[in-house]
Amino acid sequence: MRRHGRRAITVLSGFLGSGKTTLLRRYLEKQARGDIYVIINEYGAVGIDHHLARMVEDQSILLQGGCVCCGRREELVGALRDLLDQEQGYDGAMRQVVIETSGLADPVPVMFSLMTDPMLRHQFDVPLVVVTLAAIDAEVQLRRFEGVRKQIIAADRVVITKSDLTTLQEVARCRVAIRALNPTARIIVSRFGEAFGVLARDERQEDRRRWETVLPDPTGLPQPHASVRSTSLMFDRPLDWTAFGVWLSMLLQVHGPNVLRLKGLLNIGVAGPVVMNVAQHVVHPPEHLPAWPSGEHRSNLVFITRMIDPQRIAYSLETFQYAAGRSDLHMVRLG
Amino acid sequence: MCLLCSQMFGEIHWSERQLDPVRVSYGSDETSRRQERHARIRLLRKVLAQYGLEVGDDWSATSYIVGNRKGDERLAASMGELWQVAEQMAGKPLDPLDESLLERLRNIDSNE
Repeated sequence: MRRHGRRAITVLSGFLGSGKTTLLRRYLEKQARGDIYVIINEYGAVGIDHHLARMVEDQSILLQGGCVCCGRREELVGALRDLLDQEQGYDGAMRQVVIETSGLADPVPVMFSLMTDPMLRHQFDVPLVVVTLAAIDAEVQLRRFEGVRKQIIAADRVVITKSDLTTLQEVARCRVAIRALNPTARIIVSRFGEAFGVLARDERQEDRRRWETVLPDPTGLPQPHASVRSTSLMFDRPLDWTAFGVWLSMLLQVHGPNVLRLKGLLNIGVAGPVVMNVAQHVVHPPEHLPAWPSGEHRSNLVFITRMIDPQRIAYSLETFQYAAGRSDLHMVRLG
Repeated sequence: MCLLCSQMFGEIHWSERQLDPVRVSYGSDETSRRQERHARIRLLRKVLAQYGLEVGDDWSATSYIVGNRKGDERLAASMGELWQVAEQMAGKPLDPLDESLLERLRNIDSNE
């Protein structure tokens, strides 16, 4: 599961009781080799979930007494470095690390810690963020808890759990609520942790993940929260990559905390698209794919913003392209 | 660090990273890097003029020099650093959503 020599890393988040550990336990049960390491982070003094994941006790590290995202990031970095040290004395290479965060954790600072560490960023791939959401009271949680909304926005994949405890209509409403908050995430419905495969990053899945950025039309979806807006932009001609970089770096400098997510494929006038994935101040290294996943070669970008009118973002992006000589660029706002 | 010029190279900002790592590692892409950098600076000049600032390359075309009308000059190693330096020199946030900036960019000849 290594890509470009880097180990896979999955961040598993989800509200308290949303089924993270069930999913993780089912995933680990199906692994023939013990080359997947687990880091569990718990609120409170006793890490109960750690005991449930006892089967991986020898290869798991428990971060106790705090949240990964609130001042414990150094411990997370330290834990990952320890795992790399352990790997040296272990019979076989480490294939993947799964970090199960506490129910209240925001995955973005976790990603930030991983991607800014000078050693870890060369050892681990861009983290895959999987978030669990229990169908049974999803709407209430999304409305009440900002932490839950942050997790959904940061997610690459959202697993709707406990679907057996509610109606199909409820699951459908849950799906719409997720889609409204994060149009780019892949949504998987699960019962009893059966969708555990979602934690893996095999190459086929990875391709799917890239494909996921080819966006659905979010027009007509309800806006999930008064201050959070999502918008989807499409461009009919190639973008100027240099001007895009100038514009986005300037935008993130001032508005980074309110640009909750930016995801998409950019046509920059060469053979394949550039994959963009930004979560607040964390910019994943833009990746140039050798070819387009479909016949459509148009740039697609989704912005999820807080307290910013998406219309202003769209106009600003278009203006910077204009100033760089792309006066012919025509932008379509999808929603 | 470059042993010839003693220049320290920090982290390459994502917006300045060449997208094709193979070509870069063989050094065949220096011309295109310079061209991109030239285009970037041309656009940055239009943007920073709004705040009374100027920008240019250092001698090795790896750092940016940001200056104001008083003759103060500061070095920025990357795009990330450039916005921080420019913000400090301008004394206010540089907002790409600011309407007066966008109006300025719309009204200048894009081929300048």
